[in-house]
Amino acid sequence: MERTSRISAALIFIAPLAVLVALWAVVVPVFGVRPQIFPSVPAVGRAGLDSILDGSLLRHVAASVSRVAIGTVLAVLVAVPLGILMGVSRGVSAFLTPLMRFFSVLAGIAWIPIATLWFGYGFGAIVFVIFNAVFFVVAYNTLLGVSTIPMTLRHAAASLGAGRQAMLTDVLLPGALPNIVTGIRTGLGFAWRGLIAAEMIATDVGLGYMLFVARDFYQTEVIVLGMIVIGTLWLLIDRLILVPLERATIERWGLVSA
Amino acid sequence: MKSLSLKNLAKTYFDAYKGEHVTAIRDVSLEVPAGEFVSIVGPSGCGKSTILNMVAGFIPHSGGEILVGGTPVKGPGPDRGVVFQSFALFPWKTVLDNVGFGPKMRGVPKAERDAIAREYLALAGLSHAADRYPNELSGGMQQRVGVVRALANEPDVLLMDEPFASVDAQTRMTLQDELSRIWEERRPTVVFITHDVPEAVFLANRVVVLSKGKVLAEVEVPISRPRVWDRLVADDEFKDLSNQVLALVRSA
Repeated sequence: MERTSRISAALIFIAPLAVLVALWAVVVPVFGVRPQIFPSVPAVGRAGLDSILDGSLLRHVAASVSRVAIGTVLAVLVAVPLGILMGVSRGVSAFLTPLMRFFSVLAGIAWIPIATLWFGYGFGAIVFVIFNAVFFVVAYNTLLGVSTIPMTLRHAAASLGAGRQAMLTDVLLPGALPNIVTGIRTGLGFAWRGLIAAEMIATDVGLGYMLFVARDFYQTEVIVLGMIVIGTLWLLIDRLILVPLERATIERWGLVSA
Repeated sequence: MKSLSLKNLAKTYFDAYKGEHVTAIRDVSLEVPAGEFVSIVGPSGCGKSTILNMVAGFIPHSGGEILVGGTPVKGPGPDRGVVFQSFALFPWKTVLDNVGFGPKMRGVPKAERDAIAREYLALAGLSHAADRYPNELSGGMQQRVGVVRALANEPDVLLMDEPFASVDAQTRMTLQDELSRIWEERRPTVVFITHDVPEAVFLANRVVVLSKGKVLAEVEVPISRPRVWDRLVADDEFKDLSNQVLALVRSA
């Protein structure tokens, strides 16, 4: 029962995408679209196969994914403690909130020029951009998560003997976790977009770079292939990692309906 | 179990909305000997929850003294267990881990605190719910867990803030029966806040009527135990005492 409903849910999700591909497969030959404008389905398939066989696709994907992973992990490690600190201290929160507001607008590719000056072209600059994209969203959501924990829960913990450390690990952190997960999900969405933009400018490997270079050679099949890979990878990350994580916390604890 | 003693307790605070100082508790003195069950009743705004919050250490008091077993209260602590109207269970912990939270804070090893939690869950007929999460339970079940969680930490004084106000009437009577039975078995020192007069009389050894931040009257409840609703619902002594307290509350 569970299994069949999951399969049908997957089919419903895939169906519109399949329709789009079918349209594409028909429109390009029927209207004789030139490959410099938009590639045919078989051309993209061939480009995909070639890039898999020569290992270049894997290299670009690995570079992009590892940058996002490292930037995100670093951002979460700094943002969560800061968000909790802001959540428990009115003073810290009052001081940092205007700064957070200001910098959250700048988060993302606005930092690329100065990031490349600081870290040079490549890995460091891009990880910094990712960090920026994720950091503010996660910090803000952590703050939100902590401040939405009912005061009675903190009172309950204190009257059961919880000290500072236990309050943090047993109440504030798990209480804010659903918001933290939401923050990571949103932040990763920003990061993924920022990543492609940064890779077009500041590196010589990665999916963004792959797209940008292909343009110079009018290789529309590589550009479209890259776009498909970017979109598909994001869907996989979202469906296979983020959604289950959200489910495990928010839904199990009943924090959605609460 | 220890005694609780309030000496000339007072609470004033600044109401930013009204722009003036408000006296919530004027001058309350109250002795609760170890092992006694005291109910505090009074109309809304009489300050009964304020007293409980001060005793629990959640808010500071502005005058007088709060002593648990002779020691002044400074902030919240495990010597005073609290049962909340909103249950205040940790949604991210199973029932077992909620009940084992107090022992965990005392550094009791996992296996041992699970055993303690299971023992207390059995006391309230909750053994089957040990591995569930709070949101999977009914309100009545959640509050059973709330009571058991406070008890499992073996506090000196148990503070209950309108604990059964947010469950349906039928469940409320069952919970009152159960609390009465558990109290008779364990004899904890209890301060029970409620605006429900029959509930206050049913449970307590003594009912304190509060009005405008002061103690209006204290009424002893000598009704024999064990007390169950099946018997008390038609008991003349219970009815008389309830009417007596109700008259006091209405005059308050």
